[in-house]
Amino acid sequence: MAVDLSVRIGSLVLKNPILTASGTFGYGTEYSEYFDPSRLGGIVTKTITLEPRAGNPMPRIAETPAGMLNSIGLANVGVERYIAEKLPLLERLDTAVITNVAGNTADEFGALIRRLDGLGRIDAFEINISCPNLKKDGLAFGMDAEATRDVVRRVRSETDKTVIVKLTPNVTDIVSVAQAAVEAGADALSLINTVLGMRVDIETRRPVLARITGGLSGPAIKPIALAKLFQVKRSIGVPLIGIGGIMTTGDALEFFFTGATAVQVGTLNFIDPSGSVSILAGLVRWCEDRNISSFSSIIGTLVLESPSKP
Amino acid sequence: MSNLGGSMKIRIVSCRIISQESITERIRRMVLQAPEIAREAKPGQFLHVRVHPSWDPLLRRPFSIHAADGNTGRIVLLYRVIGKGTEFLRSLGEGDSVDAMGPLGNGFHLGRNLSPALVIAGGLGSAPAFFLISRLLETGRPVTFLWGTRSAAEIFGLDRFRAEGVDIRLATDDGSLGRAGTVTGLLKEFLKEKKSLENLEGFVCGPKPMLAAVQALAGGMPFPVQACLEERMACGTGVCQGCAVKMRSGSLGMVCSDGPVFPLEEVDFGG
Repeated sequence: MAVDLSVRIGSLVLKNPILTASGTFGYGTEYSEYFDPSRLGGIVTKTITLEPRAGNPMPRIAETPAGMLNSIGLANVGVERYIAEKLPLLERLDTAVITNVAGNTADEFGALIRRLDGLGRIDAFEINISCPNLKKDGLAFGMDAEATRDVVRRVRSETDKTVIVKLTPNVTDIVSVAQAAVEAGADALSLINTVLGMRVDIETRRPVLARITGGLSGPAIKPIALAKLFQVKRSIGVPLIGIGGIMTTGDALEFFFTGATAVQVGTLNFIDPSGSVSILAGLVRWCEDRNISSFSSIIGTLVLESPSKP
Repeated sequence: MSNLGGSMKIRIVSCRIISQESITERIRRMVLQAPEIAREAKPGQFLHVRVHPSWDPLLRRPFSIHAADGNTGRIVLLYRVIGKGTEFLRSLGEGDSVDAMGPLGNGFHLGRNLSPALVIAGGLGSAPAFFLISRLLETGRPVTFLWGTRSAAEIFGLDRFRAEGVDIRLATDDGSLGRAGTVTGLLKEFLKEKKSLENLEGFVCGPKPMLAAVQALAGGMPFPVQACLEERMACGTGVCQGCAVKMRSGSLGMVCSDGPVFPLEEVDFGG
């Protein structure tokens, strides 16, 4: 029995719900030696900015228990080289291309989308309002509902393509930011971006990262991601894309049950470049074993009431 | 085996451990059965090894290839036990397996140059240096090897090279063997006594401060030097951009995918 794995995110239909997370899969073809990216539901590119960025000073990665910190600082070739050199490489891939973008101001977000909107290979945009490494002290647009509203409005006014807004967990009330994004026109939300974190070298008493703080990712943040997803799912109607420490099919299922329409695999790519398709294969087997013909029927099926007594 | 694409190059393999032994209390030598990797490996390249099957420690560890034999299919790695990951690696025995990705990175550029080689290693820079010397000897090149370590206990495995006529000069921090002090002291001596340096080709492997010290002597080295860098890494393939190193041109190089071998004069060790 063939399992129908397709899901809909805004106007975009994904052939399956397994995507790669921004910053962990390059511009989309870097891991082609390890597996065919066309097997994925979609790839989310590394964050693209108007100007090229070399990124933050070194050291910019550190390992933590079941996690890693990064302060790469959105190193990327800039939008023009992305269009000229990177996007054409994706032409032959049979998978959705979701271009992740970030700007320093709402105007910059608008300018980026205006530049990219006409390019047919881009299926959707993911709006990075949540990278903790762009500004001092980990601040981001996504920490403020009104700043989020401004950015998403500008983006919405420039494109009819599917707009996914990526949320930060580094806020007191993620639901209010999610609401602002949806009111301003977001078709879907992805969550969570990395959790602000830090490590100290006890020999030198110095922070391990040159930028002091960075973004924590990996299995360590999965429980945080699930709780944030649960909170947002309760009050928001648009499709949600789960991100945070997904290493196995079981991890992905936790997100699907909690309400994610799709998931993004991130840090796992660094350890097992083809880990995302292993998760996909496991998901197909899981559905087949249970005679589930349509994957989407399992989304949001979390059981909350206590078991009934016989 | 994670090769799911059919025609893709196999890059991640489960390698059986043939043996593990201690060189010192902290330095270990591990022999792996990995025919595909052994056939392909070049000096300066590394294996990205998953040291533990759980997610803690999470990331792979990069280890320079210390020896590779395409005929026996064996690979040798050297590592220093410094943390949770390498402690676990130490506990593995014959018959256990580790998951290794590679060979990764760009090795030393050897070309058709048959000029005399000067190989300089600091500490575990011996890991890539030994593999390099073996390949240099195979092409009949005269080799001088300068090696500095903390103490005599960390000097090992030189008999084979001595037998093949390698000019070996040693330094130890504590003076327990060879010259007391660092390998840069040896290098200064060598540069002073040699009359014609122009024909030489230099290769240097070791931690960044040592590479920087060697670079500072560049004025006395009228010959090209290739440097093999050590750096902490996440992905090992250029994707995460974590292992960046500053270049004197102002750009950044990724140690894993642009390196780990760079022209010594191009690296900005101040960054």
